[in-house]
Amino acid sequence: MADPLLSPAARTSRSARPGAPRRDLTAYAFLAPFLVLFALFVLVPAVYGLVISLHRWNSLVPVHPFIGLQNYVDLVTPGSLTFSDFWSSMRATGIFTVFSVPLLIVVPLLAAVLLNQNLKGTTFFRGVFFAPYVLGVAVIGVIWKYLLDPQAGVVNHLLGLIGLPDQTPWTVDVPWAWVSLVGVTIWWTAGLNTVILLAGLKGINADLYEAAALDGAGTVRKFWSVTLPGLRPVMIFVTTTTILASANMFGQSFLLTQGGPGTETRSAIMYIADQGLAQGNMGAASAMSYLLFAVLAVISVVNFRIQREKA
Amino acid sequence: MNRSLVTRAVAVAATVGLGISLAGCSAGGSSSTGTVSGADYTGPKVTIDFWNGWTGGAAPVIVPELVKQFNAEHDNIVVKSVPMEWADIASKMPLAIKAGKGPDVAVAHGDDVATYAAQGLLLDSGDIVDGLGYTADDFPEGLFEGNQYQGTQYGIPWSVTPLGLYINNDVLKEAGVDTTVPTDADSYEASLAALKAAGVQGEWVDGYVFTGTFEFESLVWQFGGDLYDEDVTKATFNSDAGVQALQHMVDQIDKGYSPQNVPQDGNFNALVKGENAYNWNGVWQTTNEALQDVDFSVAPLPQIGTEKAVWSSSTDWIFPSNKGQSADETSAAATFVKWMNDNSAGWAETGELPAANDVRDDPALVEKYPNLKPFLDQLPYAHYETVAPGITAANAEITTAVGEAVLGKKTPKEALDDAAAQADKILEQNAQTYGG
Repeated sequence: MADPLLSPAARTSRSARPGAPRRDLTAYAFLAPFLVLFALFVLVPAVYGLVISLHRWNSLVPVHPFIGLQNYVDLVTPGSLTFSDFWSSMRATGIFTVFSVPLLIVVPLLAAVLLNQNLKGTTFFRGVFFAPYVLGVAVIGVIWKYLLDPQAGVVNHLLGLIGLPDQTPWTVDVPWAWVSLVGVTIWWTAGLNTVILLAGLKGINADLYEAAALDGAGTVRKFWSVTLPGLRPVMIFVTTTTILASANMFGQSFLLTQGGPGTETRSAIMYIADQGLAQGNMGAASAMSYLLFAVLAVISVVNFRIQREKA
Repeated sequence: MNRSLVTRAVAVAATVGLGISLAGCSAGGSSSTGTVSGADYTGPKVTIDFWNGWTGGAAPVIVPELVKQFNAEHDNIVVKSVPMEWADIASKMPLAIKAGKGPDVAVAHGDDVATYAAQGLLLDSGDIVDGLGYTADDFPEGLFEGNQYQGTQYGIPWSVTPLGLYINNDVLKEAGVDTTVPTDADSYEASLAALKAAGVQGEWVDGYVFTGTFEFESLVWQFGGDLYDEDVTKATFNSDAGVQALQHMVDQIDKGYSPQNVPQDGNFNALVKGENAYNWNGVWQTTNEALQDVDFSVAPLPQIGTEKAVWSSSTDWIFPSNKGQSADETSAAATFVKWMNDNSAGWAETGELPAANDVRDDPALVEKYPNLKPFLDQLPYAHYETVAPGITAANAEITTAVGEAVLGKKTPKEALDDAAAQADKILEQNAQTYGG
């Protein structure tokens, strides 16, 4: 799998001859536009953010006193201004990620397998599953806020009609707020994973299914022994991006629950944005961003390692 | 492919994690503190930008009309009105002013003026105020001083927006409940109990801003407490008065007068739909289109505690000190403000009370807008928002506490104590940031 990517580099090193530097130059020229953007919008802000995190930094006040690692120390010192709020927001992000990621893998996988059957109307349903994804978070937030309103919402009304409790506080109290946030997110983004997994399914050689059938494998066995192993490279991609997307959840809880009840569904990104942008507490917010980044980087690497070893 | 995936994953994490810090880039500050005169502007023709948060109710019609009229009367001034959501103003204006791209004149909420002043975003407007001939006596008590920061005047009061008791008379009549307006704890309780007996939950209590938070703050003052101490160095909303105030709200739910788990604005929407009878809400709702189909009336808040008190916000004219702000444009802006104040009688149409006493006390105002009377009647005992740089961050803790108590997550005392502890830390940080 990795060979085609490695080969150009290998070829270059083999063909180390006078013409080589020019070729490098061409390569760098092609890379330059991206490098400029990458430097401008990723590297520079990253380093600048690190600098900010070492100061007490309100961007509207001219003086930014240097305070060393104090912002980081505060984040691990119980009783500081940011400690309990930050870790409860990390907890909220953790809860959301733990519940949403498995569902965002399993539901799209089942949908993709169904859509991969030779049935009439699969193209239509593929469109239907994907449709919510094209909506912005503001749109889905407003729609579901109406639908899930505890007293006036359609969802509770319909539940009442079939004799179920019709006062469930979907957007106001936990655990229902988590059910809403995870449910809405699945409805919203499952389509993307479905389409990616579907593409992966189409890429599995049909001969393998035939061979499995000849060996006497049934539908279930074929799924476990052919489909899943065949999807592994795609699965690594889907899991990684889904974990990162869930860990960066912001708009859903910002719009649907306002982080409530209290601050229980306030995600890490929501708290960081509030501290940095609304309260002008940019130094602490940058320190939190770095901590969140470190956690996500570790999770990403671990996830990648685990899945690669299986392969 | 796999290798590049990890790189990409890390890059994505880095971009998202650090993108937040991007917004901090446009820092740097020049805190110019020039002054401007209040005399009529006579210089060369200028265009001035006017930012305001009037996007709802009647304002989108009235503001352009007023501006058009002003522009027609002044050959050398063109006012460009830029309406946007209040939240957008709060997030955009400070950085825009620092970058020299902010407005020449704007309307801000009273509790933001001190913050902007401390951040060096505003011009000293003392001379403008003198030029207009205004003194503290021209406005409701406490309002004019609320625009001062460290002894300097940074704004001119424009409107006040107190809370009031909205009543859906259709609901009361249908339930066969006495429509006499409740004025104290006993009569309010009696009305809610009668409504409950008729199967109506009379007042829906929520834990969000615009209703729950401001109801709580009104009640704190009614029970004789205050939100912060005099120097705004310590939160006092967790005093006995605060606990009583919040307990009263929780009691409404426990007694079945309010449903549990009311979402933001759920109580007002229910009033419009005829599902409850009472809603504690701001004067701005008097012009809400949705309410006009309902037989509603407005009354002063019932006195639940030991004294009369009501929460009120205010809006104020401010003159930003843009990087490279032209004196001509600020002078023209002052002329505009003066003209607007002189012509503010029509402002009540937008559901805000003009701040200037002489405009408000004119009997013609109530004659034309009878719904404003109960709000005017409450002004003598209105409490305006706390004035201190960065105070809104501490105020957010109040909403958290109200929400936690109303949802039964914590007792009123626990919720308020926790919030006060956190607010104290924020006040301490504000003192460090703004040099107290």
